[in-house]
Amino acid sequence: MAERPGHIRGLLGVLAALAIAAVPHVTHLPAWITLQLAAVMAWRGAAQRLDWPLPPRWLRMLALLIATLCVLGTYRTLNGIEAGTAFLVLMASIKLLETRNARDLTVLVFIAYFLLYAALLRDQRLPQVPWLLASAAITTAALMRVHAGSTGDSWQEVAKRTGALLLQAAPLAVLLFVLFPRLPGPFWGINVSESARTGLGDEMTPGDVSDLSASGDVAFRVRFFTPLPPPVQRYWRGPVLHEFDGRSWRRPRGQTFPAQQVAFKGDAIDYQITLEPHARRWVLALDMPAAWPPREASRAYDFTLMSSRPINEVTAYRVRSYPAYSAGQALPASIRHKDTQLPAEGNPRAVALGRELAASGRSPEAIVREMLRRFRVQPYEYTMRPPRLADNAVDEFLFETRKGFCEHYASAFTVVMRAAGIPARVVTGYQGGEFNPVGGYLIVRQSDAHAWSEVWIDGRGWLRVDPTAAVAPERIERGLLGAVAEDEPVPGRLRESSALWAQVEFRWDSVNEFWNQRVVRFNSEAQFGLLERLGIKEPDWRALGLGLTASLAAFFVGLTLFLGWRFRRPSRDWPARLHDVVARKLLKRGLEPGRSEGPVAFLDRAMGSCPDLVPQLREIRTSYVALRYGPKPRPDDLTRLKFLVNGLRA
Amino acid sequence: MRTLIGRFRAFTAARARSWIRRRQGPDLDPVELTRNRIYILPTRLGIAYAAMLFAMVLGGMNYNNNLALGLTFLLVSLGFVAMHHCHGTLRGMKLRLLATQPAFVGQPVGFRLLLENDSVAPRPRIELEAEADRADIADVPAAGAAGVTIELAALRRGRVPLPRFVVATRHPLGLFRAWAVVHPDYSAIAWPKPAERGRVPFGRETDTGGAQDRAQGDADFAGLRPFQAGDSLRRVAWKAYARGQGLHTKQYAGTDVVSHIFDWDTLEGLDTEARLAQLCRWVLDAHERGEAFGLRLPGQAIPPNLGPAHRQHCLNALALFDTGAGHG
Repeated sequence: MAERPGHIRGLLGVLAALAIAAVPHVTHLPAWITLQLAAVMAWRGAAQRLDWPLPPRWLRMLALLIATLCVLGTYRTLNGIEAGTAFLVLMASIKLLETRNARDLTVLVFIAYFLLYAALLRDQRLPQVPWLLASAAITTAALMRVHAGSTGDSWQEVAKRTGALLLQAAPLAVLLFVLFPRLPGPFWGINVSESARTGLGDEMTPGDVSDLSASGDVAFRVRFFTPLPPPVQRYWRGPVLHEFDGRSWRRPRGQTFPAQQVAFKGDAIDYQITLEPHARRWVLALDMPAAWPPREASRAYDFTLMSSRPINEVTAYRVRSYPAYSAGQALPASIRHKDTQLPAEGNPRAVALGRELAASGRSPEAIVREMLRRFRVQPYEYTMRPPRLADNAVDEFLFETRKGFCEHYASAFTVVMRAAGIPARVVTGYQGGEFNPVGGYLIVRQSDAHAWSEVWIDGRGWLRVDPTAAVAPERIERGLLGAVAEDEPVPGRLRESSALWAQVEFRWDSVNEFWNQRVVRFNSEAQFGLLERLGIKEPDWRALGLGLTASLAAFFVGLTLFLGWRFRRPSRDWPARLHDVVARKLLKRGLEPGRSEGPVAFLDRAMGSCPDLVPQLREIRTSYVALRYGPKPRPDDLTRLKFLVNGLRA
Repeated sequence: MRTLIGRFRAFTAARARSWIRRRQGPDLDPVELTRNRIYILPTRLGIAYAAMLFAMVLGGMNYNNNLALGLTFLLVSLGFVAMHHCHGTLRGMKLRLLATQPAFVGQPVGFRLLLENDSVAPRPRIELEAEADRADIADVPAAGAAGVTIELAALRRGRVPLPRFVVATRHPLGLFRAWAVVHPDYSAIAWPKPAERGRVPFGRETDTGGAQDRAQGDADFAGLRPFQAGDSLRRVAWKAYARGQGLHTKQYAGTDVVSHIFDWDTLEGLDTEARLAQLCRWVLDAHERGEAFGLRLPGQAIPPNLGPAHRQHCLNALALFDTGAGHG
């Protein structure tokens, strides 16, 4: 092999496969990686066409070294999806520099498969599927073209054969998918939160939640087993924020507090919540969670339901909540201390307001009511576009701008309560949700994100106080769209109100929900459930193993039969078959067609050696010749030949 | 360590060879590649593919990512499908010897084989692997055949048997290699390498064919050769000349054409191979000059004659002389 690249069969196909596999990574990779891949691919295509020489070995080694260092410099690791993908793309470029033969091209095809796989690790939502199938087909076609021989010269032929191979592979793929054992959890650590996921954070600066609200993405879906609770009860509890620095609220880190008991009253609400991945541990449960899968989640001291590991894939929990409860009989000193702290300086007017309320001799409940009345009576406005606030953000909001989103109200309310000596904290989560009549479940979107307060009243425990409800009761009753002015920038998908469009939306969401439940969340539980429905009593791992073995065996048998059919002899036409019948009959007379003896010659020879059959054979011969070589055979010609052949008695 | 592994591999390969040889026995023409004689193993790329899929399964299980697992299972299944197709591509194909191409020692003899496919599906990328100078790759069309050639350097005169060779394919995805071992009973003939020019044949020259049993007088037209000065004008092929084919002389076997008998016994003092080489040289030169010649070897005599078939007959006799292979 010369150093000249020459013409490698299938290079263009492999380049196309790489390009398609790299597309979903473009938004996640640094621009320079994408650009260099595009450049190297263009160069390699041109080198093929114009017979340019390929770079020497030392240059490729240097490129490999530089690429490794660049990835290490950018990500500090070669591990994980992000760094791994970046490294893979760079490897593809370097491999392109030395693509000389079918083996090199095959390695590139493998890289394309891996890129495809990495994209699925990042995102396995339904809209990925058409791309996945198209990309897998194109990559396989590229592989086939490298190895297909002269059939690979035509794209149509390659497409046809690839389609056939993938179709033949599909049954076993489905069986493997259904029967391959799933593990309950990861067996080694996963790099958490590599990619930015939308969702609640453990910090809130007034202005944040309204960013989240601009997103129409689904946060989670809920299927209720008891009647759907009314909107005022739909408070989905997320992270509770205790620490305030004058501007932002935070969750305390590394501190533990004693758990508080909760007493429940009234009717329970049972539901299954299916969370979209948000890379954090909180499970958005309806206030107040009472029962949950004990091995997968726990309730924190501030009543937030926490998963045992970050939610990086679609996850479902079955939870029971009670809308009526009394949370905590006595307040531990450490929590009281934590939830009454304010920064030593800043927001003096808000602090003064709180102290004034405390000094007025009112009970804590009266102080809460007074503060809510203030929000209601004074000209406060609920808006998604609050003015920017400077240093003393709470003061400015409370006394000057008076325009804010839920987080402004929750924050200001909590600060005033703390100043009044009432333990208080900010609770973030979601409020409301939209019922999907098509699928029969509740959709909660990022735009339903909300923040409220919780105050401690001795004798009654922690009480939820939603100052937003005082300012804009519509927000609670009708959601964001009902609460803000017409011209506010709510997500487009909420603004759209045509009934037809809403139907389409609901249907699409139902399909997505089905996808999430049946495919993305298909786990060992669902697996065993499916086997049970297929009539296997108490399925276990052995049943799966047996099923796998049986399907593999069946698949192999099926494939063997199929290939026997594929490589079958060509079917002979009727005249030829009838001639075979004649030959079989004449075998009795010791006559056998020679290897290179045509039917006519054979019949002539037969007439020579069997004078008694001459009349019959002559008719057969005439009929055969007419059918085979005649100008335009009629259907009854064939019938006649059949008749003659059947009547032949040798 | 490395040599140890190398020796182990050589040892296992030799064992496998002799096992296959014992199992299959010799092959008679035509050879049909039946199911029980096709072997299949993953290629290096296939092993890399399997390793990739293994990593993918682990990752998919670890991340609990069903879509990634789905892709992996599709690729696993694709691998199995490719394996069956690879096997099927070879299964049922027939090999037939079309012709052998003799050659002088030092040059390659050729075996022209026909790969026959009587099924409705094509059999692409059939590779012939032999310890040979040349072994072809062919795409065999559906219900058709493709010719392939194996060329083998002829190291000594006589019959050159085609050693065991392998018919293999990596179609369709290059992940598996299916192969069948063939132990053919084909052989080509290697003629002795002609000696240098210089020695002139002497004696035993006849000028009439009357004494030869095959000679049949004037009517025995044997062919044309380029006109040489001194040839009789009566023998010129005027018709050919009129057709613009140049001046040729008609030759007749057994007439007054110069006719030699190249005799083994005239080459005393030379060993067997040198004698054969010299006889070979004379045969070639005489044929080139268009002269009739005969050959006399111990225990064998070929009467004088002309033409390519006669030349080949004589060369074969020289090639097979005293090889125990009988007469050509």
